[in-house]
Order: sequence, then C-alpha cells, then structure tokens
Amino acid sequence: MRCVLPCLLTMLLAGTAAAEEPIRIGASEPMTGTAAVFGEQAKWGIELALSEINAAGGVLGRKLELVVEDNRCNPAEAAKAVTKLIDENKVVTVIGALCSSATLATMPLIARAQIPLVVTNSTAASIAQLSGIGGNPWVFKTNPADDTMAQALVEHLKKEGVKTLAYMAEDTDYGRGGVQGFAEAAAKAGIKSLPPEVFPQGTPDFSVLLAKIEAQKPDRIVGYFLRGDNDNIMRQVEAMQLKIPFTGRIDLHSAAMAMSPEYLKAGGLDHTTAINPYQPDWDDPKNLAFVEKFKKATGHAPLQMGLYEYEATYVLVEAIKRAGSTDPKALQAALKLTKYPSILGATIEFDDHNCAHNNALIQSIEGGVIKVIELSKT
Amino acid sequence: MRFGALLVGIAALYALPLCGLSEYWMTVAVTACAFAVLSQGLNLVYGYGGLLSLAQVTFWGLGAYAAALLAMELGWSPWATLPVAGLVAVLAGLGVGYASLRLSRHSFAIVSLVLALLVQLVARDWQSLTRGPLGIPGLPTLRIGDVEFASAARFYWPMLSFALVALAVIWRVMRSRIGRLLLAIRQNEALAGSHGIDALAHRLLAIGLSALLSGVAGGLFAFKLTIVDPSVLDFYYTESMLIMVIIGGPGSFWGVTIAAVVFTVVPELLRLSSELRMVLYGAVLVGAMMVMPAGFGGLVVRYREKRWRARLA
Amino acid sequence: MTFGYLLTLLVNGLVIGAFYALLAMGLSLIFGVLEIVNFAHGEFYMLGALAALLAINYLHLGYWTTIVTVTLAGACVGWLFHRALLGGLAGHSFERSLLLTLGLGMVLQNGALYIFTATPQIVRTQFGMSSILLVDVRLTWVRLFALVWAAVGLIGLYLLLYRTRIGQAMRAVAENREAALIVGIRPERVARLAVMAGIALCFMSGAALAPVYVVTPTMGLIFAFKSFAIVVIGGFGSIGGAALAALSLGVIEALVGGTMSLVLADAVAFVAMILVLLFRPLGLFGTGVRI
Repeated sequence: MRCVLPCLLTMLLAGTAAAEEPIRIGASEPMTGTAAVFGEQAKWGIELALSEINAAGGVLGRKLELVVEDNRCNPAEAAKAVTKLIDENKVVTVIGALCSSATLATMPLIARAQIPLVVTNSTAASIAQLSGIGGNPWVFKTNPADDTMAQALVEHLKKEGVKTLAYMAEDTDYGRGGVQGFAEAAAKAGIKSLPPEVFPQGTPDFSVLLAKIEAQKPDRIVGYFLRGDNDNIMRQVEAMQLKIPFTGRIDLHSAAMAMSPEYLKAGGLDHTTAINPYQPDWDDPKNLAFVEKFKKATGHAPLQMGLYEYEATYVLVEAIKRAGSTDPKALQAALKLTKYPSILGATIEFDDHNCAHNNALIQSIEGGVIKVIELSKT
Repeated sequence: MRFGALLVGIAALYALPLCGLSEYWMTVAVTACAFAVLSQGLNLVYGYGGLLSLAQVTFWGLGAYAAALLAMELGWSPWATLPVAGLVAVLAGLGVGYASLRLSRHSFAIVSLVLALLVQLVARDWQSLTRGPLGIPGLPTLRIGDVEFASAARFYWPMLSFALVALAVIWRVMRSRIGRLLLAIRQNEALAGSHGIDALAHRLLAIGLSALLSGVAGGLFAFKLTIVDPSVLDFYYTESMLIMVIIGGPGSFWGVTIAAVVFTVVPELLRLSSELRMVLYGAVLVGAMMVMPAGFGGLVVRYREKRWRARLA
Repeated sequence: MTFGYLLTLLVNGLVIGAFYALLAMGLSLIFGVLEIVNFAHGEFYMLGALAALLAINYLHLGYWTTIVTVTLAGACVGWLFHRALLGGLAGHSFERSLLLTLGLGMVLQNGALYIFTATPQIVRTQFGMSSILLVDVRLTWVRLFALVWAAVGLIGLYLLLYRTRIGQAMRAVAENREAALIVGIRPERVARLAVMAGIALCFMSGAALAPVYVVTPTMGLIFAFKSFAIVVIGGFGSIGGAALAALSLGVIEALVGGTMSLVLADAVAFVAMILVLLFRPLGLFGTGVRI
C-alpha cells in the first residue's frame, strides 16, 4: 500500500518524460567566418518560429528543439556539421547550409542518411538541378533562384528604358553566378551588357573601378556583392558623387545606412532598383508585424535569412503534423504536399525539382526612402 | 616487444569503426589521418630539413584539384587519379624548392608562401580550369568492386591504410642515412657541403616526398567530400599543421603524430567558436616560440639527455 | 580615355601607393634592423584603424587629434611589441620570428573578429563626405588629408633615417649588421626605435584610411600581402627601394585596373614578385644577401 503511490508517481513521471522527449531540428549554418552575420540571422529566424510553435503546444504533443552546428561556409566543415547533427544529435531534419558549396557537400550525406534537407538560402543553380526528380529526392529548396529574379528585374528595367548595363561583382560563386544570370536575361531582353568588373572580397579601394564604370556611361550598374563590400562601395560612391543608379541584388537597407542622410535626401541613390528575396523595409501589414516581433526577440531587423528560415521552420513543422510522425520517409512525402502561404504573398509549394517559387521584392529608393514597387513571381 | 605493441596498436586502429563510434567521430578520425600525413610531411621538411614550408596545404590542395579534374573532365577512375595527383604536387614542390634553394633556406619560406597564395588565386579566378569559387561538386566516391567507400566509417579504412603507409615511409626516411644527412645539413650547411654532401639534392628529396604524400592525401580526401573548392587551400590548414609540428616538436616523429591526433580531436571536443580557436592557436604559437621552440618532442629529448648525463656523471 | 580619367587613375594610384609605401617601408625597416619578417604587420594597420574608430565614433575626438594620438599609440605599441616579444629573437632563428609574428597576427585578427564581428564599421569624421574638385578629379577632404598624412609619414621617415644619428645607425645595421656592431652601434636601442617607427607608421596609415574606407578585422590582409610583395620586389633591407616599388605598384595597379581589369591589377604584384624571385632574387634595389 505504501509503495503504490510512489510507484504510480514514478510510472506517471516516466510516462510523461518519454512522451515529452523533444523533436530535434538541426541547422547547419556558418556561425563564424565572413558569412557569420547570415548564419546568425538564420538561427534567429528558426528560434523565433520554434518559440512560437512551442508556445502553442509544439507538434504531435512534443516540443521542438533546435541544434545548430557551425559549418564555417566550407564543404569540409559542412560535412562534419551534418554528420554530427544526424549521428550525435539525432535530428529529424536539417535546415541549411546557406553557402552553396557547403550545401552541395551536405546533399549526398543527407541522401545517404535519408533525412530531408531544407535549403533556404543557397543560390547556386546546380542545387536546383541536382534536387528532386532525377536527383536527390531528400533536398527541398524554398528560396528563388538568382536567375529567375534577374529575369523579373530585367523586365522592369526594360520598361524604364534602360539600354546599357555595367556590372560589379564580388569574386565568389554568388557574385559571378549572379552577374552571369543577369547578363543572360539582359541579352534576351535586348539590353547591352558591358564586361563585368569582378573584385576580390575585401578590396579596400574602389575608386579606380568606379571611375572606370563612370567613364563608360552605363544607364545602370548591376551589383552582386555582400555586406562586407556593400558598405565600402556605397561610401566611395558617395565620395565620388557617382550619379549612376544601381540595380541587381543590392541590399538597399544597408546601402542607405552606409551613406549620409543628406546625400540620400538630395537624391543620392535615386532610381536604384533592386530585387531581393526579402528586405525588411516593406510596409505590408503582415511584414510589419513580423519585423516587429523579430526586432523584439533579437534586437535586429530581419534579413532574407531571418524570414526564410522562419518560414521554412513552419513548413517543416506543418509537414510533421501532416505526416503524423517524425519518420523521415513520411516527412519527405508530407513535404512534397506543402502549401504554405508566405508573408511574401505567394504559396510555398515544391515543383518537380523540389523547388518553391516564392515572390521576390523589387524595391526602389527615392530621396532616401525605400519602397517596394512590385512583388514579382519567380 | 615494441614491434608487438605496434602491431596491436595498428590492429586497434583498424578495429575502430567496429566499436560503434558514430559517423561524426569517424569523420574526425579520417581528418586525423589526413593531418597526421600532412604534419609529418611538414615535420620532414622543417624538423629534419630545416625548411619552413608554408605550402604544405598547397600540395594537398593541388592533389585534390588534380584528382577532381581528372575524374570529372577525363572520366578517370578515382584510384587512377591518385598517383597523378601526387605527381602534380611533387612537380610544384620541386619547382618551388629548386627556385628558392639556390639562394637560401629563408627564401624557401617566402617562395612557399607565394606559391600558396598564387594557387589560391588561380583556384578562385581561373574559372575555366578550376570552376572558380563554387568548385567542382559531384565527385565520384571510391569503390572496389561492389564496395563503396562513401560513409566516413567505410572511408576510414583506405584513409588509415594510406596514412600508415605514408607515416611508415617518412619514419623510414627519418631513420635512414638521408634523415641523418638532412639533420647535418640543417645544423650547418656549409660544413656539410665541405664534406661533399649535396644539400640541394637531399632537401629536394624531402620536399618531393612530403609533397607526394600530401598530394595523394588531398586526392583521397576529395573523393570523401565529393566536392573540391578553394576552401581546400585555406590558411586554416597551414595554421593547424604548424601548431601540430611546433607543439609535437620539429624533428620528433612520435611527438608530431600524437600532436596531430590531439589537435584534431581536442578542438572538436572543446566546441570553441572558430575565431577563439584561432586566437588560441596563435597564442600557443607565440608562447611556444618564446619558451618552447622545440616542442614537446624537444622536451623529451632534453629530459633524456639529462638522464643520460646523470648516469654518466 | 579623357585626361580627367587618366588623372583620376594617377591620383588614386598615388594615394594608395603612398600608403603601400608607409607599410612596406616599416616592414623593410624592421627586417633590415632585426632580421625579422613581421607577419603581423597588416594587423597593426588594422589596430590603427580600430583605434581611430574608437576615438572618433565613441570618444568623439576630432580628426586631427585622433590621427596624432593613434600614431603615438602605435609607437607605444611598437615599444611593447619589441620589449615583450622581439627583443630576445633579433638575429636568431628566422623561422622562430616568422612563426611568432604569424601567431601574433592570428591572435590579433581573430580576436578582433570575435569581439567586433566581420560587419564593417563606418568612421564618420567631422568632415563627412564633403569633397573638392581638383582639375577634374573629385576628392573627399578625408582622402586628401590621408594623402597629406602619407606624405608626412614619408617625410618623417626620411628625416629620421637620413638626418638623425640613430637613423644613420639603423641604416648601418640594415646594410651590414656585423660591421655595425664592430663600429659600436648598440643594436638594442636601434632595434627598439626601428620597431616603434614601423608600427607607428602602420597605426597612422590605419587611422588615416579608416574614414576613407570601412573598418573590418580583416582589412589588414590585403595591405599586408601587398607590402610583403613590395619588400620582395624592392629588396629586403632596402627602404628606399620599398618606397619606390610601392609608389610604382600603386600607380600601375590603378592604370591596369582602370584600363583592363581589377583581377589583373591584383595579379601585378604577384607577377612582379615571381619575376623578381626568378631573375633578381635580391630584389630590384637589394642591398646585402640577407635572405
């Protein structure tokens, strides 16, 4: 009689303990190195989504837990990171790996482990080609490809009467690939492209490059470079008072912050249009609400990675709910049936190559104010 | 007796995948094998040859790229690419060695650094040759018949076998006349020359051997990762190798071997951010250069000398 | 190719060449006097920029005060560097000093990365972005001042080396260490001052260029590599040679970048270095058989 109550209590506790084992989601992101800013955004996006989902009770009666491994934006570390996630942390799925070469190294490993991988930010065209039908059936990609975004922007530029384009790209696969895709789209639209100016990341002095472009008098400068060089370039653009508008995948938010307010108000970056998968300055009410809660949770505005990882987490959790279990094969099948309404206005659904076609934002800046002019299908 | 212990040790190493270690730790083990080969190569060139080489990672990277390109562009079987990968590395090593050793051993350090940076530049910018920053993905895996060495646990066996052979070769060279001559040249080049010893030839031999083994290791590793990109030439590898050789003790075979394993495994255990790890490595380098330039191997040698002297006195 | 464009290229090339010169001369001086290749040279440049960032953005010091203060701070850091680390190594093993400064560079760069992250920081001086148009070339005041500081640094170094006794001693040690010792020059004092001068120049360059570009922990890498190449091209131990090679490199890079491509411009330093190593290994103006 005396032992019944403790026994019952232990059994109850054991029972609830077993049922409460959390579902682990793995993230392979560059937490250190040059892409660390993006890795951090990615982590914040997933954490925000998970905190909301857990607050609402989790999924299948269990809470969700995130395990992040640093892949340092290179394939060797990415291979280690994903094997650690799968073998040591027993995650049910992996989100990542942000940098394209890291993602490419991760893909064969998750195919062997037979666990779904959700790619949210890698831009290399080969990833889409190698996924889904005829390729790796475990890889799902939610971000739009750079070349489809380029096509959308080129149409817009054609309407603006642009005739000649100059190009500035960082010496990475993102820069070179982006510029190549853009040039191809421009050629199809009959816009002339000058030979691209490629610079190594971290170049201190852009005055020569900018002077060279200025001398050729293009209508627009297509830019594919990341934050590290973006700020430096914009400062030197202001220093030279270069009046040629930019286009391509410019981070308008950071560009505006790098320049002085007087210059922007006087029309410094005017007529610059950029297409990005996402930028925080967009006054759509759903976006404003999202930006608000992201800022409250992290103290920073969300970048593309923040939003995409947030939505990818929801996509995954919905798939788990749809599958009714965390069994990888069921999860994979459930992912294929995804129909998630994105804040960007399109529905995230996966095509034959397991790629989604979300909307992208075409933004312009006038007098220092960033506006979204168009939501474009990709 | 010692040979028996060695055999048992080797058998234990081969049995490692059967102990139920996770795929992750097997990946670490594979990396440890690679670093053991690379740092022993550096040990041979620096510890015995007295030449500070900053291009060890370049030979590894050249091997990886050569193997990848041969497999993807010419459709060679991965196994066939490995000797050629080694050969490419050897040619680079001999080129650098010959160009700089005519002057002095100091210029070897400079020229090796230049080679390292040049190859990085080529890997990134000569797109038509190396596919640029994205690298060469989709490499085939190693196979023998039906057995595919794709997972880390399986790949460990060919990697370990190669590492053991490579280490044995280096050990043999170190213990041979060539090794002793290298030490003599390192201590006093002029004196050795006056005895008719061809310093250049011996040093080139050390560089060539070290490059060959690093190149083949690089090729092997490429088929494990299935992608080769410019990050394979990262300075991070050079920094790690330098730590392993300096702490292990330049010229000490076992010191460097142990250091290679320790400095591969311990960073994984510590889970430091990679920046802090580099700060630590840098601090260790500075500290070692100030107080312990001969590393632990050197300490062991000094301890042994002390005991020997005590016995004689 | 208008005259204005050519002039722009030349002026920009000279500005950057001047700073290459400051860094390369410091590197050459340290090598000449101590036989040490300072692999942390670029990181000292970065520290100077960081110091300027802290001074202007957080301590709200004025531009001129900042540069002077940071330069003096550089001299102090140089003194500390010599006292703590280099003193015992002078003239000893080349490899030991190489590895020590390499390790120091790793600590400084990664430490800065850890503390400040890779996000670029902008230094906004009281001059903002106001600029002046000089014969078709638009220069911001900060860029013009940077050029002035570079000139000050070069003239200062020249005066130190050619118009003071200790500068003469430095040149003597750089030219022939044994002979200088025989003549009675005290190497410790000369070495200390050489390091202080070299590091002070790094700090000054970093501070002067911080408002022109952006400040990141890895900003020293490219400058370090270029200064290294320049010292190889000019000849180890030849300080005048380093200055000449630096200015030429700056201008050639600008001309190549402006007429051909930027990637080729970066390769110029490389190609020149390799040619020199193959055909004139002592450098174009090399003095002794140092390395």
